[in-house]
Amino acid sequence: MKTYTETLYDSYGQEFSVDKVYFENKTDHQHLIIFENAKFGRVMALDGIIQTTEADEFIYHEMLTHVPLFAHGNVKRVLIIGGGDGGMLREACKHASIEHITQVEIDDQVVEMCKEFLPKHSAGAYDDPRVNIVIDDGANFVCSCTEKFDVIISDSTDPIGPGDVLFTSDFYENCKNCLAEDGILVTQNGVAFMQLDEVTTTAKRLKPYFNDQSFYCAAVPTYIGGVMTFAWSTNNKTYRTLNDNVIKQRFNAADITCRYYNPAIHAASFALPQYIINALESDS
Amino acid sequence: MIRIEPTSQASQYQQLAKQHGTPMLLLDCDVLTQQFNSLSEALPGAELFYAIKALPHPAAIQTLDELGANFDIATSGEIELLCAQKARPRKTIHTHPIKRDKDIRDALRFGCTTFVVDNIYEIEKFVDYRHRVGLLIRVSFPNPNTPIDLSRKFGCREDEVCLLINKAQSMGIHVKGLSFHAGSQCPDSHNHVHAIRQCKHLIEEVQQQTGKLLSILDIGGGFPVQYDKPVMDIESFCAPIRAELYKLPEHIQVYAEPGRYLSAPAMTSISSVMGKAKRGDTTWYYLDDGVYGSYSGQLFDHAIYPLTLFSDITQTECAVLAGPTCDSIDVIAENIEIPPLNIGDILIGHQMGAYTSATSTEFNLFDKARIVAINVIEKTVSKIVPLNKNDQLL
Repeated sequence: MKTYTETLYDSYGQEFSVDKVYFENKTDHQHLIIFENAKFGRVMALDGIIQTTEADEFIYHEMLTHVPLFAHGNVKRVLIIGGGDGGMLREACKHASIEHITQVEIDDQVVEMCKEFLPKHSAGAYDDPRVNIVIDDGANFVCSCTEKFDVIISDSTDPIGPGDVLFTSDFYENCKNCLAEDGILVTQNGVAFMQLDEVTTTAKRLKPYFNDQSFYCAAVPTYIGGVMTFAWSTNNKTYRTLNDNVIKQRFNAADITCRYYNPAIHAASFALPQYIINALESDS
Repeated sequence: MIRIEPTSQASQYQQLAKQHGTPMLLLDCDVLTQQFNSLSEALPGAELFYAIKALPHPAAIQTLDELGANFDIATSGEIELLCAQKARPRKTIHTHPIKRDKDIRDALRFGCTTFVVDNIYEIEKFVDYRHRVGLLIRVSFPNPNTPIDLSRKFGCREDEVCLLINKAQSMGIHVKGLSFHAGSQCPDSHNHVHAIRQCKHLIEEVQQQTGKLLSILDIGGGFPVQYDKPVMDIESFCAPIRAELYKLPEHIQVYAEPGRYLSAPAMTSISSVMGKAKRGDTTWYYLDDGVYGSYSGQLFDHAIYPLTLFSDITQTECAVLAGPTCDSIDVIAENIEIPPLNIGDILIGHQMGAYTSATSTEFNLFDKARIVAINVIEKTVSKIVPLNKNDQLL
């Protein structure tokens, strides 16, 4: 049987049995593969790193959308940077109150490929009339964008590779300029136990631009090594400490079905393990 | 060393020359396979990393990959070659002691996480990637008695090893072993044995002084092949190495980086006489390949390749075999006694797989010799049924 070995770390890693390869492509310094695994369904990997799997993607996508959307409470306009697989779009589209979603993807082929080989991720969301797909570099888009958004979600790859510009101070500053007053920026920020630097570096870069900067987390099985952190940045300090009942009310009113997210998880996800708190404190 | 054979022996080469044109290089992957198997048997337990710089050719990569070889890479260009051949990235080490940030990132993106360093400035380059990588420290030992000394340009002193490992540890960077190069085309394995012995002490010293457990020893290359002079067979060459490796702690995994040993015997050059001139008592023959081409190893690699000519004439005369370029340095052999040759006759160069086409140039805009590969081990094709015509499959 063929296997796929992740090469994210030298001394630790995960391996998948490959039942069938659906797609493999090496484009312009990128190696992309989509294959079938008995436990995780379709698995997509880029440059030796697992990007998403059908079985556990819901945790990641629900947490990067519903947490900021319900915390804000009145989101009309959403910007998604990256997220070519369409999972983020699918979750955002569940909110009937959202009027407009712009998704900026650097490579239109990624969108087409994911529609074809990972159809459950977008589940038809690309056909939603509220969605506007822009093919552009995310960093470039926020640099020249004059529109304002209530929530910006950065669904990037790892900092090594094409996604590196989405971890820079410039990018964060430009995102702030694209946020409406009291808007929220959330970003994928890696698995803290394995790469604690990503947390401290991101915190350092975001803090100058926002009154409230922190992280929340969730464990995603194929992002191995413990909880994944999401960076949370906004000027409205009350969002993180909303009364449980407020979130419950909003969640019930939205009438959304989730598999990971619920109001209790929402509140709990802002509780950080002590090793992350220590790292943030010792670095600031 | 020039062998003269009867013209009846030339037919297979003439056929190849006719079919592919000259200058050409015939890459026989069966020989690669034999060499790989011989070295594997001579160094049981060692993981072999083919130093692809010696002959960076897709057929060689493919064959060795199928045999289960690993790869020693030094540049992003070499990574691209491996990528194109779909070699498994977990089985690569990046051995260039000096790297740009982009080189590190390219290697990580390919999936290579083992890197060789030999100084503090280089270790510092890994701070940002410290959670992803494992480093080998290259140590320099003297390379006496080798035609190619690899101890001067790279490698730290033995007494720097603990210091470097301490510094790496203080930066959170994982050092997992040591590496050395005993020279290239070594006449015997004294250098290897000495270096392994010293590395054993170093591994013990590192554990005592820093508490760091090293688990890899990379003994580099240096395994010889026969050019103009006889060399030790690989079994005799490796016997003392094996004996010394046996003394290492049991947990140490041994790596080796053969380049020349695997590739040199696998390639044969075929060139032809494109002109001749009588100059004094000497006949000059101008071949369509020379030291700016496949014979570049005679300049860069200190190699003198065994040659074969075909003639049924027994009388000989003084001759020069020259390359095609306008430069007077472009001479393959001079002051030789050979039978008279005709324009169109062919010259065979043996043991021409390592550092030949790899270092050849296109000076005068002469094309490089074409490499024709035979007996390539086919990629084990996975039995995957395409979903539709647009699928790109393994």
